[in-house]
Amino acid sequence: MKRLILISLVLLAAILLSACSAGTSAATWPGLAADSKLAYLANGTYVYAVRLSDGTKAWQYPDKAGTQLFYANPLLTTDGQVLVGSAGRDYELTSLDTATGQQKWTAPFVATDRWVAAPLVVGDTVYAANNDGTLYVLKLATGEKVWSLHISQELWGAPVTDGKLVFVTSLDHFLYAVDPVAQKVIWKVDLGGSAPDSPAVSSDGKTLYIGSFAKKVIAVDIATGSVRWTADTKDWVWGAPVLGGDSLFAADISGNIYSLGVPNGKDAWPNLQPDGPITGSPLVLADGSMVVATESGSLYAFDTSGVKMWDITPGGKIYTSPVAAGDSTAGLIMVAPLNTDFLLAAVSRDGKLVWKFTGK
Amino acid sequence: MWDQFILNPFTNVLLFIYNIIGRNFGVAIILFTILIRAITWPLNAQQLKGAKVMQELQKDKEWLDIQKKYAKDREKLASEQMRIYKERGINPFASCLPTLIQFPIIIGLYQSITRALAATPLGLLQLAGSIYPSFLNAALLIPLNSKFLWMDLGRPEGLPFPAGFSLPFLPYGFPTLALIVAATTYLQTKLTLPPSGTGGANDQSAAMNSMMSIYMPLLLGYFALNFASGLAVYFVTSNVLGIVQYASMGRVNWRNVLPGGDKTLPAKTGSRK
Repeated sequence: MKRLILISLVLLAAILLSACSAGTSAATWPGLAADSKLAYLANGTYVYAVRLSDGTKAWQYPDKAGTQLFYANPLLTTDGQVLVGSAGRDYELTSLDTATGQQKWTAPFVATDRWVAAPLVVGDTVYAANNDGTLYVLKLATGEKVWSLHISQELWGAPVTDGKLVFVTSLDHFLYAVDPVAQKVIWKVDLGGSAPDSPAVSSDGKTLYIGSFAKKVIAVDIATGSVRWTADTKDWVWGAPVLGGDSLFAADISGNIYSLGVPNGKDAWPNLQPDGPITGSPLVLADGSMVVATESGSLYAFDTSGVKMWDITPGGKIYTSPVAAGDSTAGLIMVAPLNTDFLLAAVSRDGKLVWKFTGK
Repeated sequence: MWDQFILNPFTNVLLFIYNIIGRNFGVAIILFTILIRAITWPLNAQQLKGAKVMQELQKDKEWLDIQKKYAKDREKLASEQMRIYKERGINPFASCLPTLIQFPIIIGLYQSITRALAATPLGLLQLAGSIYPSFLNAALLIPLNSKFLWMDLGRPEGLPFPAGFSLPFLPYGFPTLALIVAATTYLQTKLTLPPSGTGGANDQSAAMNSMMSIYMPLLLGYFALNFASGLAVYFVTSNVLGIVQYASMGRVNWRNVLPGGDKTLPAKTGSRK
């Protein structure tokens, strides 16, 4: 009897300690992407494809949960692939068929750490930034490694490109410009704090805009790597800034929203703070309006002058950037909250809840 | 409540130590564990004192007599035990209460290490919310330097196997630190085993202690094998400090780990306190 009690106590202690620890299971907020027909949700042990028409499941990968853990934003390629990295112990980057969810390839090379960032595809080449601080360059068709470049510490932001250079941010406080031809870093900029998300590239390909934990948004000249202007924010900027017309939209983890002038970084919307921290990027819609998701589980839409158009609270805690899906004007806005009884919600462009997806 | 009074203060102190010692998270964990052990020293001492009184009572003639006499009358036995406690001014919970008070502190220590390691975006956001802005500049601290000796403290430890060799149940390589955790846990459990007597409750107690000395090293070794190695560093430090503390109070029973040891506390050592 005493033996049984003791074993029970030890097991209870094991459960308690396991619950206390994040371990290496790397739980975090989900990744999200969408095209004209499906939304793709990377949520823990599964990647789901959900029909925009009715919120039903089109497929899930894998059929049974394995060692993979998916949290990075899936990347959709023009040739019908979904690329998604795993934050599990396998360190795999996987290609799935968008239509069926069947695996096309799993990276035939071994990264040494987890995938937090979505990859970037340019032509037939994949640029994938890993938590081990390395930028891996792969063939899109097969996933084979072409070359790699160890840059620095954790790379959490998806690489972006101006068509010539590849830009990578790191938690080490720097923004790096990599020349894929020379396969080396050609300049880097000290941001003063970690940058966990990507920079935005101006439409003319001359400027990068990046937010960081230094409570700043910085405009960087792509040609020289010099800082063009700096705009102060009230707290850490987590999500990537987004360009919309002549404005650069950004938000901080105290929930402040900024509409910065592209030429000079001057804030046109002072003191706009709806509710709760904002970690995702703002979503700029075709009509110029802007949508943000807050940790409080709400979506807020603002017109071009910063006047609130609508708000809705689907629930849970929303950390993932909202994503536009379907038709560019009449489509849906997808949100993927945590800590609630559904995994994904679709909201119409005028702020009405359309459906919820629970994973079944 | 828990975060405000335990986890956040612990996390800030841990990061403060990390900052002032030159950003070495491994050393910060060791120093923080020493600090917490020092703060809880009086509680540990009280617990050991209470345990010693209870152990001595187990050998007392009157105590043994009532165990035999009322072996089949549990109600009477309980009332007789209470009488002896009262007459001798013994608090039977004197060794349990300090342990209960320490438990949240140990959990808080454990959680603060996990939180500070912040391996994911959500973990980093939680860490950001835990840091007192007026106390520490989190933007300058992040990312933490999680490299210590040959380890990445945010990941399970393992020395790489020779090229071409792998074991599916050891995905991180040869688990040096997990073995050290298991060994030090075993050593601590064995060294601090109370003296075993003969017959009755003492035999049961010895059996339980013996099982603890097997299960605890396995349990903590398993954690060290699968969780961030920063936690394993804490386990090893805590075990070593536990042995040092027991030794300084004359409560270490070296014979328990020596071949042919009689598993009883030396009379001289046992009577020191």
